[in-house]
This record gives sequence, structure tokens and C-alpha cells, in this order.
Amino acid sequence: MSGVGPVEPGEGTRAWDAPQADAVPAPEPSHGRLALVHARHRRAVFAASAAVVALAGGGYLYATRPEPPAPPAPPYPSQVLGVHYLGPATAPAGTPRGSFGFEVELSVQAGPPVTITRLTQPYAGLTLRTDPHIPVTVTSDTPRKIAITMRVTDCEKVPENAGLPFLDVTLRNTRAIEAHSFILGERYARNLNDALQVACSNDFTSSPKA
Amino acid sequence: MRQRSLIAITAALAAGALTLTACGSRDEGGSSDTGSGTTVVIGVDAPLTGDLSAMGLGIKNSADLAAKTANKDKYVEGITFKIEALDDQAQPSSGQQNATTFVADKDVLGVVGPLNSSVAESMQKVFDDAGLVEVSPANTGPTLTQGADWQTKKVRTYKSYFRTATTDAVQGPYAAQYVYNDAKKKKVFVIDDKKTYGAGLAATFTDEFEKLGGEVVGTEHIDPETKDFSAVATKVKNSGADVVYYGGEYPQSGPLTKQLKAAGAKIPVVGGDGMKDDEYINLGGSASTGDLATSVGAPVEELTSAKDFVADYKAEGYKEPYSAYGGYSYDSTWAIIEAVKKIVEDNDGKLPDDARAQITAAMQNVSFDGVTGKVSFDEYGDTTNKQLTVYKVEGGEWKAVKSGTYTG
Repeated sequence: MSGVGPVEPGEGTRAWDAPQADAVPAPEPSHGRLALVHARHRRAVFAASAAVVALAGGGYLYATRPEPPAPPAPPYPSQVLGVHYLGPATAPAGTPRGSFGFEVELSVQAGPPVTITRLTQPYAGLTLRTDPHIPVTVTSDTPRKIAITMRVTDCEKVPENAGLPFLDVTLRNTRAIEAHSFILGERYARNLNDALQVACSNDFTSSPKA
Repeated sequence: MRQRSLIAITAALAAGALTLTACGSRDEGGSSDTGSGTTVVIGVDAPLTGDLSAMGLGIKNSADLAAKTANKDKYVEGITFKIEALDDQAQPSSGQQNATTFVADKDVLGVVGPLNSSVAESMQKVFDDAGLVEVSPANTGPTLTQGADWQTKKVRTYKSYFRTATTDAVQGPYAAQYVYNDAKKKKVFVIDDKKTYGAGLAATFTDEFEKLGGEVVGTEHIDPETKDFSAVATKVKNSGADVVYYGGEYPQSGPLTKQLKAAGAKIPVVGGDGMKDDEYINLGGSASTGDLATSVGAPVEELTSAKDFVADYKAEGYKEPYSAYGGYSYDSTWAIIEAVKKIVEDNDGKLPDDARAQITAAMQNVSFDGVTGKVSFDEYGDTTNKQLTVYKVEGGEWKAVKSGTYTG
């Protein structure tokens, strides 16, 4: 001791600020333990944190990614079905007088199968039936031949010389049901007119349903 | 092990996302360089002003869209397409002047148009003499491709003329079949405007209608310069007709249907593609309800192939609708682009010196999947895709009621 009076306690030098030797250490706050763990496993924690951030970011980008384009809808059946006139054919045995036949080929260019659910012609004095019977399904890899037999029921109600006669067809595929006309061209028109003239010749008109 | 997997997946996702982002950035940054290389001009001739401008502007805009699409996609390497449109005002004399102008411009290597068959007649020889290819999206007069005697002997007069619209040789008879068989109308009053298209269409309709057994109870020609049809309306009313067939265009048929109904002739008016425009309904008002029109092709909105065209047209923000011939105009323009592509690729990536002649020759063999379906041309220069649709005015708009395909 030097006889010099005690020094005024400065900031942070008060006696009660110093831990007493026999005092029980105060319990550490809980975050301290985490900090300790953090210190001991810093690399692992960093990696996990980075993974969480990356996962969140990746998840966000994944969730907001541009949607892949939806597969294109199948085409409308009228845009892929072809009906091509093949030519006259012999009417089946046993068909009534005033009947005549011809053949068409149905083909599908692309897409799902197309089903023909109805096939008619527009003239009131004619009836029509097909072989095979409707409905007929056509796939893109296999064209189908259809035999059509028409029968005159009233010569007053058939065209005298139609230039562009057509068949009315109802079509169905997975996209739509459509009514569509197929204008078979000049050769069909010529053959139809010839057949109608024969069917409605003098011998026939007196008894069209014989 | 699971943690490692998780980290690996996350890293992969993050890397993938970054890659995608980078790709997107690169695309945006490099799309504007279209100024280099050769510029090919595609002329467009159509009525851009006047009564028929609704159709003409749809043709012009759709051609523009095709050129922009080709440029954006760099469809022909080293070639930038540019559209130059001239207004023919639906007048043959103007069309001929425009044809001369296009021929004089060496950068013009193909022309889309015109709308009117009568205008086309005045342009065909000018283009043919210069070997400049012309592809019309709208002409339907049969004589343009098959000669004056097309009903008995088809002869192609001009090798440089092509079209993507089908002809009145099919349209008129198809309309007659619909009117007679489906609409069950047996007595028709036929009116036309004396022009190439209108008179020709009325003739093909009449011919087929009579063959089917229908009766023509009256005929009349109108002056397309007037809008007073009261005298004709009275004749129709007194004729006993149950339907009117009009060969002509909507600026006349719109007022005509209004005046017919006002005169007491409450019967439908039927016309062709020149009538099938929204402006017809505007002009005819409620009197147009129940009227019918045929038009070339299937409804564009129903064609899967037209989906991108409809969306892109909207995205470009054109003020006018694409109208009846938009899809056909796009396809006509694209046919020229395809022909240019062919001759450039056959000439080591450069335009040959005789580009016009080679493009005309290449056009004959052009074949592609267009907006309106398969696009190719037969030996007369006519489209091989011959579809038609009957439309009816219902609820203030045209609604498709029946479509047909010519497969002969």
C-alpha cells in the first residue's frame, strides 16, 4: 500500500462488477448453447443454410417456370378426313330397280381416328345405304372403301343434271362432331347424272318402286 | 445420405434455373439484327381505302404479319422481307398502275393481291410480261386461271398468276345446293353488279340452281355506284321469289337487304365471299338477320393451323380485323417466302440474278402447311385446298352453318 487513498472507481471498475470468487456462475442463456453448437458445427450449419436458401430459390423458380406448351389439340375431323370418289360399282344383288352403286374411299391424314356417324345425299327423291353400315371408323394408317347404293324413289325430286353434287357426312373424333359436305367432283357428277337418267327412263318412272 | 441427395437435387435445380434464365436473356438480346443481308420486297395490292377497305386492310395486315414472322424466325437465311402496299381502291385502272409500279421496282419479287377479280384482270398481263409472280388471296373468278371458256375447255393464260382462294366454279354451285336442298328455297330472284366477280358468281349459282330444279323468277343488274335499290326491291317483292341471290359485294348488298325488307320482301338474301364481312351486318342492320353468304375456306377460328395466326395477329395490335381473307393473305405471302427460300437455298444462299423468273417457276411446286390448311397449286395456279363455308347472320354476327370440301 502506498498510503494513497483509494482511487475512485471508474466506469466498470466498481467492486460489484467483478465476479466474486466464491459466487456461483450464472447460468448461460439458452442461445449461448446454440452459438456454441454453431461454433462447433459452423461448416455444417452453413451448408444446411445454403441448402435451404437454394432449395427455396429453386422451388420458387420451379414453381414459376414457364409451363411446357400443352400438346396440340387434335384437328377438327373435317380437316383430316378425305372422301375420294373411286367410280361406279355394281349394285348388290337383290336391290330394287332404280338402284345403282358406286364406291368412295375414306382416309384420315393425321390425328385420332374419325368416325362417320351419318352419310346422306341431299336429294329428296333418292335414298342411300352403305356397305359396311354406318358408323364406320377410319384410322390414319388404313383407308377404308365404302360401297354406296342409291335408289331412286321419286324421279320428280332428283336433279336433272347437277354440276357439283355432294355427300353430307357427320364426322366425329376426339375434338369435335361436325356436319360436312364432300363435293366429289365432275366425274361423280357425270356418273350420278347418267345413273339417274337410266333409273328414271321411261320404263322406270311408271314404277319407280318396282 | 438423404441430406447429400437433397443438396444435390437443390444444386441441380438451381443450376438448371440459372441456365434457363441465362438462355432467356440471350434470346432477348439478339433478336434485333435483321438489317444485314438482302431485302426482298413483297408488294401488296388491295383496296386500302373506300367501301372495300375492311377486306383490303385485313389482307395488308396479314401479309405484314407473314413477313414479320419470317424475319423474326430468320426463315430465309440472309433475307429480310419487307411489305410495300399500294391502294387499288377496287378499281381496275388503279390496279394496273400499281402493277406497273411493282414491276418497275427491282426489289419487288412477288405480289400479294388483289381482292377483286376485275382488278386482277387488269394486272395479270403486266405481271406476266415481267415474270413477276402474283398470288391472290381472294380472287374467285374462274376465268383468271382457267381461261374464258373454262366451262368447256380449261386453258391457263398466265403462268405467273396463282391464288389461295377457291373459285366460283365451286362456290356458286355449292351455294345453289345449300339454298335448294338445305334451305328448301325453290324460287330465286338473281341480282348482280355487272362486275367480273359478281356477274360470274351469279351465273355459276344460277346454272346449278336451275339444274337442281329451282326456278329463276327474275333477274336484275344494279349499278354499284348507287345505294338506292327501291325499284329493284319492288320487283323482288312482286316476283314471288322465296330467296334473293346477290352476286357482288357488301357495300351494295348491305343497303339492298335493308331496302328489300323495308319494301315487304321478307326473304333471305344470299351472296358469296364478297358479302361475308361484318360491315354487311352494320349496313343491313336487323334486316340482315337470316341472310346467308358462302365464303372460301373453313372458318379460320376452327382451323388448328390458324391458332398461331389468330394469336399473332392480335398480339401485333393491328387496328383492323383480318376479315374474310386474312388467313389466305398470310398463306399467299408465305407461298412467296417459300419460293424465295427455295431459290436462295438452291443458289448457295444468295438470290440469283433472274430471281423473279425462278420464283415464278418455284411457286408451282410450293407446298406447305399454312394457316388455311395445306397450301399448294394445281396446273392452273388454283389452290388445291378447296373448302367453302356457308354462314348465316344470327344475333348480329356471321355464324358458320355448313362447310364443304371439294375433293374431285
